Amino acid sequence: MKAYYGKRATAENDFGYNWIPKITDDHSFFEYLYAIADGKMDGMFLMGQNSAVGAPNSRFQRKSMAKLKWFVVRDMVEIEPATFWRDSPEIERGELKTEEIETEVFFLPAAGHAEKEGAFTNTQRLLQWREKAVDPPGDCRSEAWFIHQLALRLIEKARASNDLIDEPLRALDWWYAEDEIGEPKMEAVLAEINGWHTDHVAAVADRGPHGGVLFPQDRQGQSHHGPQVADYNELKADGSTACGCWIYSGVFNRDGVNKANTRQSRDYLGHGWGFAWPSDRRIIYNRASAKPDGAPWSERKKLVWWESEKWTGIDVPDFKPNKSPDHIPKDGQSGLDGQRGDAPFILHEDGLGWLFVPKGLQDGPFPTHYEPLESPVRNELYSRDTNPVVNWFTRGENRFAPPGDPRFPFVLTTYRLTEHHTAGGMSRFLSHLAELQPEMFVEISPELATDLKIDNRDYVCLVTLRGAIEARALVSRRIRAMQLNGQTVHQVAIPFHFGTAGPLRGDAANDLVAISGEPNVTIMESKAMSCNIVPGRLPRGAAYRDWLDRYAPQSGPPNLHPEQPPPGAPTGGKFSRGQGKHGKAE
Amino acid sequence: MIGEGTQSTNQRRHNYVRENVDVGFFTDPTVCIGCKACEVACKEWNEVPDDGFTWSGSSYDNTGRLGASTWRHVLFLEQDRQKGNQIVGSSGDGADPFRWVFLSDVCKHCEEAGCLEACPTGSIIRTEVGSVFVQNDVCNGCGYCVVSCPFGVIDRRPEPLADAGGAFKCTFCYDRQKSGLVPACAKVCPTESIVFGRLDDLRARAHERVRQLRENGYGDAQLYDPQETSVRGIHAFFLILGEPEAYGLPPKPEVPTIYLRSAWLSAFATMIAAILVVFATFFFFA
Repeated sequence: MKAYYGKRATAENDFGYNWIPKITDDHSFFEYLYAIADGKMDGMFLMGQNSAVGAPNSRFQRKSMAKLKWFVVRDMVEIEPATFWRDSPEIERGELKTEEIETEVFFLPAAGHAEKEGAFTNTQRLLQWREKAVDPPGDCRSEAWFIHQLALRLIEKARASNDLIDEPLRALDWWYAEDEIGEPKMEAVLAEINGWHTDHVAAVADRGPHGGVLFPQDRQGQSHHGPQVADYNELKADGSTACGCWIYSGVFNRDGVNKANTRQSRDYLGHGWGFAWPSDRRIIYNRASAKPDGAPWSERKKLVWWESEKWTGIDVPDFKPNKSPDHIPKDGQSGLDGQRGDAPFILHEDGLGWLFVPKGLQDGPFPTHYEPLESPVRNELYSRDTNPVVNWFTRGENRFAPPGDPRFPFVLTTYRLTEHHTAGGMSRFLSHLAELQPEMFVEISPELATDLKIDNRDYVCLVTLRGAIEARALVSRRIRAMQLNGQTVHQVAIPFHFGTAGPLRGDAANDLVAISGEPNVTIMESKAMSCNIVPGRLPRGAAYRDWLDRYAPQSGPPNLHPEQPPPGAPTGGKFSRGQGKHGKAE
Repeated sequence: MIGEGTQSTNQRRHNYVRENVDVGFFTDPTVCIGCKACEVACKEWNEVPDDGFTWSGSSYDNTGRLGASTWRHVLFLEQDRQKGNQIVGSSGDGADPFRWVFLSDVCKHCEEAGCLEACPTGSIIRTEVGSVFVQNDVCNGCGYCVVSCPFGVIDRRPEPLADAGGAFKCTFCYDRQKSGLVPACAKVCPTESIVFGRLDDLRARAHERVRQLRENGYGDAQLYDPQETSVRGIHAFFLILGEPEAYGLPPKPEVPTIYLRSAWLSAFATMIAAILVVFATFFFFA
């Protein structure tokens, strides 16, 4: 709170807690997409994403964009979301009309990764600093620049207003200085993330070369804060410290060394190269590398051990430093104190490693098999075909074919090519990558190609209940038919990088993919669905609708799958513990 | 080789140019993953233009062949043959063999180079490290080198690309090598399928690799390194599975200049014959 609101955050106003916007609903990607489609969301910032190509049911995504009042797209090239109002397939097909779209689209040029500085954190918890190699060309700027400039303008507007709703903006402590092209100093942001003492003359030990104060001045040149905290152990709840993100604390502390930018490994765990949160701990639960008595299991792979009445070692111990291996908690002790000295997995209540997760997940505890939401075969394992707690996101524009639907006899899967990067914004527009995979194609087995009378390089159409695309047939023995429940099921495979913008030709694979969500973190199912293949070219223009209606009738109920709930209804009956609105249980 | 990290010859700085050391590329398709990073790095470093967005329908190969604007070319070979001990297909008994082999092809930098022999301007030269280098400011675009390359590597760049008309091919990143850097393709190869280093060293490592592969079920692994023919050895040599023809590599590459003697002889014989015919005709009618 002190990092957000600075001096405005006091004990009297609960450090400004009430100024923080509260989550009022499920605001995840698919939920707000539906909110946009229903006209419940006015505007959107799209940064570093291309949902008109790279998100499931991209045809529905594009059509929904036209419901926005304003739409800010930031990218290095003019990607499809920036031009959907002008040259999307929906415009060509007459499903959208440019003159009827009221969306105000702002396209802002973005800086590439070598044109901006900052830190990135990988899944191994390692923060690594990235320096700017060159200034971005022309008006291209980093995301940090955009957020910074937007914040400055919004704060200025809020200051001119008396409305109470603008108070959180007026209270914001937006102190960051800028460089000559208006980019905020990213190391100042990192210093704030590390945290500091708010008192300029705070009494702290080891003040370091600069008195321990980094980036001391605010935008007016006034002294802004005191010395850095050494790590999160120095943070206090009384407002005497401020910290942007406690888990990163220690990355840029009083010694003035940006540890995310260090590049000299001292040991085989990589200490000295970047900074692993928290506390530069490279391996979590590293107590497990030592036997219950505290001696390493392996001399060669030892990480931490118990020595001279404390935990020490190559890594930073992920354990209370003075908790002895034979510690037994007393009755009534809880939290870390309630865990034994030989229990390394400290984030689990019992401190033990778990073979399965007994709580917290919507499904489980053990892995099992359900068929994909669309499948040409029934589930051999259970009477149910699909996961009872899955999120279907039932909607007319997002329908699923029932099991074994004869209209969609083939299995379709999507994948990536090494030559392209996700929705292609960083590869399709670069000639040296584009020439290596220049056109949308579908991989088909020789057997299926013979059945359908398709030759290599022929144009074919792929159709699902969501839409239809055109692709060149790439006939290869790499693709094999599957034997499922005694029947031969053919599968085809398509890359998902192509779209209408840029120098290459290719429809978006995601026009075929349905929006769905596995029950825990709403990852969509885009690796298996059922489709039909129609040899020949896909009709362009208005003829597309009639063609699509022939192969995938667009009328009828939104829940064709017998296990699919109607729109807005909970799914899965008594087994469901899902949350949310769209086909999820409360 | 893989696992050597910064100690690999692909990552080490060197003094080969100053020390006049013969260098080479050893390319091993058994570890190639077909990422084409070599093609991209080559074009980026050498500022080679793209040569068209044409989808080939031939596996994942949309490059086609080496040429004036393609100095690295990753071949994608789909064969109904077994790859090492790998079993594919649903039967699991190897009765339905199939393999997908990737090989990054490049100018071979012949000991006896057809292009260099044929070049009338002296544009094509041999460098300190034994590579064959085209000086594009000297090249007059006559195209003799194009027909003289036994591997079909060098070509003239067509309109409307930059520097159209001149002959281009792999420079072995001579500019990088002069600065002690490794050629761009080898530098970026993530699996070290392309290895750059001293030619004698690479040959020893390549023979060891073939032995290793044969021991591990790759019965058809062999080196493509023709030294018995008139090209007298190549600086960029390959490990291949099966026969060279499948990779578009001639089993017995020859430098066209070896035919010079017979060509001159037959020309001389033709001239003598022609004179005799003229004289004979003269005497016949006289």
